[in-house]
Parts: sequence; structure tokens; C-alpha cells
Amino acid sequence: MTAALELDAVKKSFGGVTAVNGVSLRLEPGRIYGLIGPNGSGKTTLFNCITGVERRDAGRIFFQGERIDGLKPWQIAVKGVGRTFQVTRVFPELSALENLLVVTRGDRAAAERRGRELLAFVKLEQLAGEYAGNLSYGQQKLVEFVRVLMRDPSLVLLDEPAAGVNRTLLNDLLEAVRRLRDEGRTVLLVEHDMKVVMGLCEVVFVLDHGDKIAEGPPGIIQADERVIEAYFGR
Amino acid sequence: MSPARLFQGGLVVVAAALAVYPFFGTGYGVRALLQLFMWIALAGSWNLISGLTGYVSFGHVAFFGAGAYTAAILITNAGWSWPLACAAAGVAACGLALLIGYPCLRLKGPYFAIAMLGLNEVLRALVSYFEGLTGGGSGLSLPTLQASVPIYYVMGLCAAAVTALTYVIITSRFGLRLMTIREDEVAAEAMGIDTARHKLYAFLLSAVGPGIVGGLAARDQGYIEPISVFPLATTITMIVMVLFGGKGTVWGPVLGAVILFVSQEVVWARFPYVHQLLFGAIIVAVVLLMPRGVLGILQIKYRLPRTV
Repeated sequence: MTAALELDAVKKSFGGVTAVNGVSLRLEPGRIYGLIGPNGSGKTTLFNCITGVERRDAGRIFFQGERIDGLKPWQIAVKGVGRTFQVTRVFPELSALENLLVVTRGDRAAAERRGRELLAFVKLEQLAGEYAGNLSYGQQKLVEFVRVLMRDPSLVLLDEPAAGVNRTLLNDLLEAVRRLRDEGRTVLLVEHDMKVVMGLCEVVFVLDHGDKIAEGPPGIIQADERVIEAYFGR
Repeated sequence: MSPARLFQGGLVVVAAALAVYPFFGTGYGVRALLQLFMWIALAGSWNLISGLTGYVSFGHVAFFGAGAYTAAILITNAGWSWPLACAAAGVAACGLALLIGYPCLRLKGPYFAIAMLGLNEVLRALVSYFEGLTGGGSGLSLPTLQASVPIYYVMGLCAAAVTALTYVIITSRFGLRLMTIREDEVAAEAMGIDTARHKLYAFLLSAVGPGIVGGLAARDQGYIEPISVFPLATTITMIVMVLFGGKGTVWGPVLGAVILFVSQEVVWARFPYVHQLLFGAIIVAVVLLMPRGVLGILQIKYRLPRTV
């Protein structure tokens, strides 16, 4: 079966700092993956390499068997890779609904219906006309999350989706992520909240100083000595 | 009657009054309005690229000057009729925008602004250098022609067309995508928006108006020289008009052009010495007190629709 995403020895450094040091990984379609590691371990850089925001120095990246390293970020997005950002990047002077509409083409009424549906999905339908910049951080996070879904991506990269989202919304959000998986999409998420990672992910990759040091189901990862060492020191 | 209907009604009345004005008005009035139309078209055009995408063009008068010289040369040397020459001026400005936009729109923030400033200086130097075609520093005189009234109408159409174009763009998803570039270009790319292409389209559209208007101004004035059609002050006036009225809005550039132009004509003409001083003071006041401009503030406060 073709992998949803495959990284082959991807490398990226900034000046003398190696952020990602030859990471290889493979995501099977329709599953939820976690990417964890201490601060500065290269998680976000890896996201940026996959989505084309940063150009990898070496290695190859395949999306559904097709090479995507070297493509522009928008081309990768159009192919079906959606992402959110660690610090939300909604368009502040566009309304919540307009934030979702920008990526659509064709029938506008249908696009607006779909946009309102998605906003309702995260319980923000009342705020559709509000400027995104006026929403709370957690609400912006949700707008960004559903904005990704407007393109109907088959691979969704979430950079700390739970950070700043309150408890009640968090459960809805986790449920939403599971639903993405049930619809056949692949999800890769960076998260610091271990409860979220352990409860949601089927396979977890652990990065430390740009190296992948472990990979496996959450239960096994938690007990892995190298992982404990990376997080807590020897 | 709803405010929207009232506004549309008012618009029709104003348009009708302006259409019949040359039959009753004074020669001075016609010329003043003609210039007001020019400023509306220029400010509206600058708004298309800079107000929407946030790419501040500090050399937009380059398209005006390029249009002026294109039309003047076609009229003087090739004997073209002025309407045709002015249409060609629009095309030429668009071609220049394509040439310069492709490399320059990769530059971000201040670098783009400075590159555009440079473009204007380069064009002015080029025009001065190629004396055979342009008359160099001594300028270019067009054959005498009394056409203020037809030019008044065409200039008015240009102002209306730029405003209508702005309306169509801002209320469309293409316009929203242009705004995403202003709001967060990285996020726009991540959403699958081809920002390079969108910026280029906006840039091309923003160059056509100044090109045509430049040609019309050249025909109207009958004489052009490098310093009269490539002045930095014109770019700055466009910017101030848009900032004052409200950048990224449909009617902001119109409002800014009307208020600033009228105050310039009516008030400032009586105080010639403080004219520049007042202009500078307005720039400072706008930036400090209402960086969003009049309509921008109303937009935020009363949640006006994008059609405003």
C-alpha cells in the first residue's frame, strides 16, 4: 500500500545548527500519528520541510508516492496536505467565515454553507461574521483547524492543536481529530500534552536533537529508556 | 429606505450631475474635476496592490509617467488619436508592471517599496537620456488640441472604472485571497494560495489605471517633462489619500481623494506658503491618530460590509 507520507533521510540545518538530522518515517493512510520531543528537537522544522515552508537540505519526501520536496508550499497544500501552526495564523482582519472561504472556488453559496457547517462543527457558528483577530486564542485555534478542512486534505498536520484550547472544547477537538481519521484521512500531530498524545495517537515518533530516537505505540514509547532520558535527562 | 439604497440613489444623482456639469460649469470647474477624477483613479489603483496585498508601492507614479510618455510619443511621433494613444498607454504600463513585478514582488516589506522607488528613478533617468524619442530634459510638446471636455469624460470613466473594479475585487474571493497576503503570506501559502500569481495579477491591475490616466494627463496638459510626470510627490499623495480614506476598502480612496483634493483647492490655495506644511501635518496626524483611515475606523466600529 502506498504510504500517505514518507520521509527518507530528511535533513535540515540552519547555519551550524542541525535541526533535522536525516529523519525517515512512514505514515500509513487513515491513522493518527504523534510527533513528540523536547523543545528544539526539530518537530516544527520537520513540519515546515514537509509543507515546503522550509526547503530540506537533503533527503526525499513523498506524499502518496509522489515526490513533493522542492514544490512550493501552495502546491503541496493543493495536493492535499493541510496544516495548522504552533502559534495560530488566522487572517485577523477577515471574518471567521471569510477565513474559510478564501481557499474555495466555484459556487460561493455552497462554499459558504460548507464554511458555516465547519464553524458549527467547532461551535463557532455564532461568530461567523466576527473578525478572526477579535476571537479568543482558543477560538482562533479552532478556526485555523476547520480552515484546513475546507480543502478536504488527505493528510493533516497539526502543530500543538490542544495548546490554549479549554477543556470542554478540547474534547470536541479530539473527537474531531478522530473523525478525520474515521473519514480515511491521515493525521500527524505535534503535541506536548502527553495525555492527548497517548489517548489519540496510534503510533508515536520521538525526536531529540533532530534525530528520530524512537517509534512505536504510545504505551511502549512511554517506557522507552531513550525517550525518558531525552525528556528528563539521565 | 435602507442606507444602501440611499447611498446608491445618491451615487446616481452625483454621477448625473457630473455628467451634465460641462454644459453649465466653468472652464476652471471642469479642469478641477478632471484632476479630481485623476486622483481618484490613481489612489484607487494604488489601493489595489498596496491596500489589499500590503505590498507598499513607493513608485506607483512610474506607471503614470510611463503612460504619459507612451501616449505623448504616439500622439506626437506616430500621429495617433489621443483616445487610442491613451489605451496604448494603459497597455504599456501593464507591460512594465509585468516586467518589473515578476522579480520585485518576491521582495518583502520595505525592500519592495524601495525597489519601486528605484524603478521610478530609473525610468526618469531613461526618459531624460533617450532625447531623440522623448525630448530628454527639455520635455515633449504635444500638438495643440482643445479637448478638455472629452478628456473630462474619459477621466471620469477611468475613476468610475477603477472604483467599480475595486468593488468587484473586494467583494470576491479573489479579493479575500489578496487580503490573506497582507494578513499572513506564509499562512496563505499553506492554505494553497498561489501568492506569487495573485500578487502579480493585483499589480498588473493596479498599473493599468495610472497608465491610461497618465496618457490623458499628458494630452490635457499638452507638455510633459521628466520631472513633471515622475514626481515622488504624486506617489506620496496617492498613498496619503488612500491612508486617509481607508486602505483596503472600496470607497476609502474616493473619500480620501475628494477630501484632500478639495481642501487643497479650496483652503490651501489661499495659504500657498503653509500648503506643504499642512500636507505634512495631515500625514503625521493620519498615521498617528487613525492609521486605518476614516472608513477603516468605521469598518471596525460598525462592522460595515465589504461593499463599503
